[in-house]
Amino acid sequence: MDFSSLFGCISSASCLVTQSISGLTIGMLLFLVASGLSLIFGVLKITNFAHGSFYMLGAYFALTVYQVTNNYFLAVCAAALGVGLFGVLFERFLIRRIYGSNVLMQLLLSYAVILILDDVVMLVWGSEFQAMGMPEMFRVPPLRFAGAYIPAFYIFLILAAFAIAGGLWFLIEKTRFGKVVRAAAHNGDMASALGINTSLLYSVTLGLGGVLAGLAGGLAAPVRSLVPGMGMSILIESFIVTVIGGMGSIMGAFLSAIIIGLTRSFGGIVMPEFTEGLMFLVMVIVLIVKPTGLFSKGQD
Amino acid sequence: MNNNSSKKNLHRRDFVKGIGGVAAATAVTGFPAIVRAQNTGPIKIGVSSIMSGRVAQLGSSSTNGAKLGVDAFNAAGGLNGRMIELIIRDSKGKPDEAARINRDFINRDDCDMILSLEASTGAFAVQEVVRELGTLCMHCLSETSSLTADPKLRTANAFRSGRQGAHDAISAGSYAAGIAKEKGLKKWMTVGPNYAYGHDTTEQFLKYLNHFSSDVELGSQLWPKIFQPDYTDVINKILQEKPDAVFTCLWGGDLSSFIEQGNLYGLFDQAQYFCIALADYTTMAAVKNLPTGLHSGNRYVSTFPGSAANAAWEAAYVNKFGSRPTNWSWEAALGMQYLIEGMKKTGTSDGNEIARVLPGMVVQSPFGVDGTITMRAEDQTVVEYGTGWGVTQSSEPFMPDVAATDWKLIYELEAAWKKEQGYI
Amino acid sequence: MRIDSFTKYCVVALVVFALLSVVPLITDDISILDMGIVICAHGLFAMSLNLLVGRTGLLSFGHGGFYATGAYSFGLLMQTGAFSIPAAFALTIVFVAALSAMVAILCVRLNETYFTFLTLAVQMLFYNIILSWTSLTGGDQGLLGGIPKPVFLSVDLVNPVHLYLFCSAIFLVCIVLLYQITQSPFGYTLKMIRDNTERARFLGIAVNRYKVASFTLAGAFAGIAGMFMALFVSGAYPSFAYWTMSGDGIFMIMLGGMNTFLGPLVGAIMLITLNDLTTIYTDHYGLVLGSFILVFVLGLRRGLLDFIIEVIRDRRAPRKDNKKHPASPKKEDLQ
Repeated sequence: MDFSSLFGCISSASCLVTQSISGLTIGMLLFLVASGLSLIFGVLKITNFAHGSFYMLGAYFALTVYQVTNNYFLAVCAAALGVGLFGVLFERFLIRRIYGSNVLMQLLLSYAVILILDDVVMLVWGSEFQAMGMPEMFRVPPLRFAGAYIPAFYIFLILAAFAIAGGLWFLIEKTRFGKVVRAAAHNGDMASALGINTSLLYSVTLGLGGVLAGLAGGLAAPVRSLVPGMGMSILIESFIVTVIGGMGSIMGAFLSAIIIGLTRSFGGIVMPEFTEGLMFLVMVIVLIVKPTGLFSKGQD
Repeated sequence: MNNNSSKKNLHRRDFVKGIGGVAAATAVTGFPAIVRAQNTGPIKIGVSSIMSGRVAQLGSSSTNGAKLGVDAFNAAGGLNGRMIELIIRDSKGKPDEAARINRDFINRDDCDMILSLEASTGAFAVQEVVRELGTLCMHCLSETSSLTADPKLRTANAFRSGRQGAHDAISAGSYAAGIAKEKGLKKWMTVGPNYAYGHDTTEQFLKYLNHFSSDVELGSQLWPKIFQPDYTDVINKILQEKPDAVFTCLWGGDLSSFIEQGNLYGLFDQAQYFCIALADYTTMAAVKNLPTGLHSGNRYVSTFPGSAANAAWEAAYVNKFGSRPTNWSWEAALGMQYLIEGMKKTGTSDGNEIARVLPGMVVQSPFGVDGTITMRAEDQTVVEYGTGWGVTQSSEPFMPDVAATDWKLIYELEAAWKKEQGYI
Repeated sequence: MRIDSFTKYCVVALVVFALLSVVPLITDDISILDMGIVICAHGLFAMSLNLLVGRTGLLSFGHGGFYATGAYSFGLLMQTGAFSIPAAFALTIVFVAALSAMVAILCVRLNETYFTFLTLAVQMLFYNIILSWTSLTGGDQGLLGGIPKPVFLSVDLVNPVHLYLFCSAIFLVCIVLLYQITQSPFGYTLKMIRDNTERARFLGIAVNRYKVASFTLAGAFAGIAGMFMALFVSGAYPSFAYWTMSGDGIFMIMLGGMNTFLGPLVGAIMLITLNDLTTIYTDHYGLVLGSFILVFVLGLRRGLLDFIIEVIRDRRAPRKDNKKHPASPKKEDLQ
């Protein structure tokens, strides 16, 4: 365990900036995926295990649209809308059929969907890994700050994720739709009794979760290699984030995503072989100390 | 090969004893696999590989390589009219499934032999199966040297037709030392994927770099997680430390992501990069702007060995499958070739007979450094395949010139390494 | 004369064993015996998990950790060369049970979803430890060199017939034990805890102690299942400890039926068979297997045995259908 390197890094401005930006980038992408997961859990009380596949679809949709139009923004929008639509259909035709059943049935359903989607993606896009490449507008020399190098794209990514987080917060806290979502999250039966069209709401929620995952996939695509099955790793990590932050809490997901991102980047200095283990260790500690998550209000 | 011959004979005696032992054991337990010495009907070869998931390309490109050889053989009449039938199944990268699939190949599907197209962990699982059942097995894709070098892991009926970590490390170390001397490269860093292959390959490379070079200063060693291609922190560390040279054994999608991301920082202008796994078309062509001047060991390129046979093989592969061959493709093709040559030489599809003739067998191969490849008898793994290093350019053919590593050098150092490990 | 029910189960088990022993006599096909061994491993794994999931209402997503620990411990003990197979077996069971008890004590204080998350996290910790501790476990390549199988009491586990009989026998013993556990007062207490933990607590039951006991037993049986697999593949691999192993266990339970004793075994057979068929006959196992599971889940919406038993029950007395609603603040009904 290399603590001396860690201290050396923290005391060096450039290393500190580098690792922090790196941590923020990882964290922000994680947040985008995790927020959708958290939202879906908050409203539908479902842990959407197919969420990683949503992310994968987002990346592939973005890739194809980018290859055709050469316009990155269009690609990201296509990813968001495409996966959002998929989320709605997923709820409407699959999840809805098994609401009354055991939650584990939903798990089995998600597993089936993952299996199918991984194969479909392989059939449509091929089994080789694909790269989108950095869009032209970001092919600029990196910014320098305190001796550290920060690529323009990462700044964009962090800002975009912040903007989306802000938009999501506004949506949930300040709009009527958000009020409905919060009500249904608190008590679905009551919300339904009060005349809220809960089935429409559930479709929209899953659609929104899909939009978030699709955005994450599209935004990450230039700096990832796309391959069938790429959803698995992001699923596990965003899962850890939602648990630590508190299932159903968007703010919790945001803060814990940053924590996890920073843990990964700084933890990678101290014990590189065990970085993933470290994240699970943090998860264990949080669950023992405050099981509902660090930032939840403590109910559930 | 001069002073190796007596050693070879010694080992051949042990090998024959080993075969006898296997035969005795199987006679006692009465496995049907050995009793069956049919000489009619198709020749069934069991092939398990990873056909789905993140490494699906390993399965598709390697089975393609094998199929190319099988189709040519069958078109020319097969073995006295008997055609080879490849039974290909997806182990999904799970070693317990690989074990079960291969056992079923032997016990239920009447396969005469196994062409193992599993990655290294799966290959070890298959090794245990064939060790127990005594069936002939050709491992093609595992690059872990201990599979054949370690006498405890080796078994008389299993062979390897692919490249080895130990050979590649010697090749890499000697080349890199040469460049280091030429360009005055003192300070090194390494970037390797965080699993056994990454750690072992990096360690071995450094060992040989230090062997050939007197002046190596090792900086940080970075271990990004495999399949997690986000290299910002790696890149930043490199930028901070400002090494003269970086060695990386990242491969596939990880490597292409690393290069894409590194390009943003002008990383590859600031140091000399040695990428042991770059020279596969799928990796080089996937990077949108492949930088010039990256050093790479060859995985598969049609320009090395620079023979007409190699170019022809690539053309045939592309023609048939519409995609370019990978390192896995040629290893599988070579493995299939050995099995076919074995069948031709013995006139049968009997795994035991073929296992007797394979040790020491020399085949004509477009992948051999001088047109031939030898299945070394003492540890039943191939040697004399083309291994060398070159420099990339940003357009086709991406790596036009490759400097071949002298196999005499490889043999000498490999023997020393085996002694150190206690294998000999 | 009333026959003691325990004796009844033993007799049934003996009959089943006798039938299973006949199989190698009628067929030369070793792949059937191999299938049997794999079913013993996965079946016992799923059955032991259901002691937690179906019986105690504890959704553990970390069961694979004990399966893997069983496999690795057994493998390592045998590789030392200092133990006979029965000795290594016994030691492994003790070790896995102890480990499982420790994890249980850590986890049972949490309720429901958080319990699940914590078990998952603990298993992934095991996984990462296995990966990192290369000198002991071989890292991501697994235990290399095979597991020696010295003969004991004239049982030679190198012989697939012997291995098949050995695994079947121990499997049946475990099943009988599991059934005894579920039918005992202890088992009924677990059921009470599952149905209404608060009520159980008010009745003075030391709920957490029962949960720990259930978890420990389940973990021990999972360790035995791991040993079967280790013997079969002659090794141990980190994939045994990956969360997908636990996921598979849950899927087997769901496919076969959570509320019937033999449901998980049926589910294990289903999943293994489906996996085999799709691997052999199709090029796209994910698509086919996934589609089948999808149709199954949407169509039946419960495990096969549960479905069959319900159909039989419904023939006698029809029931009202449940209203479908995803979000209920209370614990959902388990039939």
